[in-house]
Amino acid sequence: MVPEMTEELRANKLKTDEMLINMGPQHPATHGVLRLILKLDGELVKHCEPVVGHLHRAQEWQGQNRTWFQYQALIDRVDYLSGMFTSWALARAAEKIDDVKVPLRAEYMRVIVAEMNRLTSHLLWLGTFGIDLGAMMGLPFYPFREREELLDLLEAIAGQRMMFNYIRIGGVQNEAPPGWFARLFKFTGSFPDRIDEYEAILSNNPIFLKRTKAVGILPRKLAIDYGVTGPTLRASGVALDLRKVKPYSVYDRLDFAVPVCNRDGDTYDRYMCRIIEMHESNKIIRQCIEQIPGGTADVLREKRKACSACGKANCPHCGGDLAIMVKKQNAGLRVKAGEGFAAVESPRGVLGCYIISTGSDTAYRIKWRNPSFSNLAVLPELLLDHQIADIMAIFGSIDVILPDVDR
Amino acid sequence: MLGMVGRAAEGFYQVCRGLWTVFKHSGRPPTTKEFPDVMPELPGAFRGRLALAVNPETGEHLCISCRQCERVCPDKCIDITAHKSPQTGKLELIDFKIDHGLCMFCGLCTEVCPTSCIINTSDFEMSEYSRGALIYDLKRLTLSQEESAYYFAKKDLPPPKPKAKPAPKPEAAGDAGESLAQQPSDVSQQPGPKAEE
Repeated sequence: MVPEMTEELRANKLKTDEMLINMGPQHPATHGVLRLILKLDGELVKHCEPVVGHLHRAQEWQGQNRTWFQYQALIDRVDYLSGMFTSWALARAAEKIDDVKVPLRAEYMRVIVAEMNRLTSHLLWLGTFGIDLGAMMGLPFYPFREREELLDLLEAIAGQRMMFNYIRIGGVQNEAPPGWFARLFKFTGSFPDRIDEYEAILSNNPIFLKRTKAVGILPRKLAIDYGVTGPTLRASGVALDLRKVKPYSVYDRLDFAVPVCNRDGDTYDRYMCRIIEMHESNKIIRQCIEQIPGGTADVLREKRKACSACGKANCPHCGGDLAIMVKKQNAGLRVKAGEGFAAVESPRGVLGCYIISTGSDTAYRIKWRNPSFSNLAVLPELLLDHQIADIMAIFGSIDVILPDVDR
Repeated sequence: MLGMVGRAAEGFYQVCRGLWTVFKHSGRPPTTKEFPDVMPELPGAFRGRLALAVNPETGEHLCISCRQCERVCPDKCIDITAHKSPQTGKLELIDFKIDHGLCMFCGLCTEVCPTSCIINTSDFEMSEYSRGALIYDLKRLTLSQEESAYYFAKKDLPPPKPKAKPAPKPEAAGDAGESLAQQPSDVSQQPGPKAEE
């Protein structure tokens, strides 16, 4: 006796079960250790839950247990692709409490190294984004070629390729070595052509367009609701860039544009936003080299021979705007009692640092506002009803660094 | 139909354009360096293995056992053993240990060193078979005179004062004013052989 095939029965019979898939934590494309718990209906993602915390290193707690001097050396490790910005956020927050006026030359040096760091971060993102989309062989090495040049320059000035410890509370650590500015200026001259090269390979490639256009659309309102910042937000049409909106350091003296997309951004818009940002960063570096008070390090070194680098505050070649450090960097580094918050625009978004100091050699409380954490939070919404193959295209396009998420 | 043909042609052109960009690179020499054969040229500021410099001219050890580096080290990887010399009443270095397995190469110790004794060398090839071998003692840390001269020039450090070590000595033995002329030479000999043993 065969039961009659009703509509209800048929629906039950043909129903496919949702499958639970665990992606990561050791996944080559997750840029660290991110675990995604995916509920799949066939190929479509129905639900996604990111599990973070595998890289938690108690960075805030360590800040409360290490002296200021020691903690400055540690925070480059929070976001290892843009260490300058974490240093800068801490330095600015501490300077706010301390009422320290950073010399103009140090501010220009900060902008130069930070924009270089932004370039290296975006270049690495571009290479890995290519890998995420399946461009395994050729593309990643084009951006890496320029990144190496920049990292060599940063190594020459700061001592290490990625753990710089260069921007300090009260200025920057040291003056550029001989020939550094000339090398950097030469690099900035050739860099726009190199970006055109990446664009020739990628931007109009039909495969790339198929993978990125109308994939992972992030509506403007959703982006604001989740607190997304950085190029990811600007690609969704919100013109929030701290360098323009709340100019800090010397950004108000520089002429640069912030790329903002005027529609709900998809993966391609986020890609394009970062490409244009690289052009703008390059422009900023060039302007800074031209505007920096005292000229390049070589010019200044010649001038300082006259006063034999006396280091006095009233010297026309050493003090005032031309100094690079106003606080003594040693174990006795102290920040006055008080609390302060400062934010900088990192390659990933708004990076904030909140400090409570009691005037002792360690901080009472340090709180970081990391852009990657908020940017990652929006991922489940972006992945809904997308193919499983698009997960990495979307995840790659929001440019998350996992140590920055977990701290 | 025409639109589809147009799109296909456009796509084909763009792919060819990308491939041509890649192809243009085929003739030029490689930008990568084959590491073990070609050693990288490292800048003076590079923070590599820690070492203790000696005075490039006289060869006397520059460490004055002030323990600033030990105090400032975030990883507590520096261990200094020093005692007050019974003859001169002055701090004397016995042993200096750095655990390079713990070190994070932040370079803070080199910044606070008052005599530019502890420096970051350009050496980065320091793999060992055991963790214990990463703990460097005074003998392994101390550089030769030539190496010290090389790093002092490369890092553009101020040359150590000719009598860096005996300088605070007269103050410590302040009463013995008349024998000042003899004392410095006396003292400079003492730590010398100690450091090199």
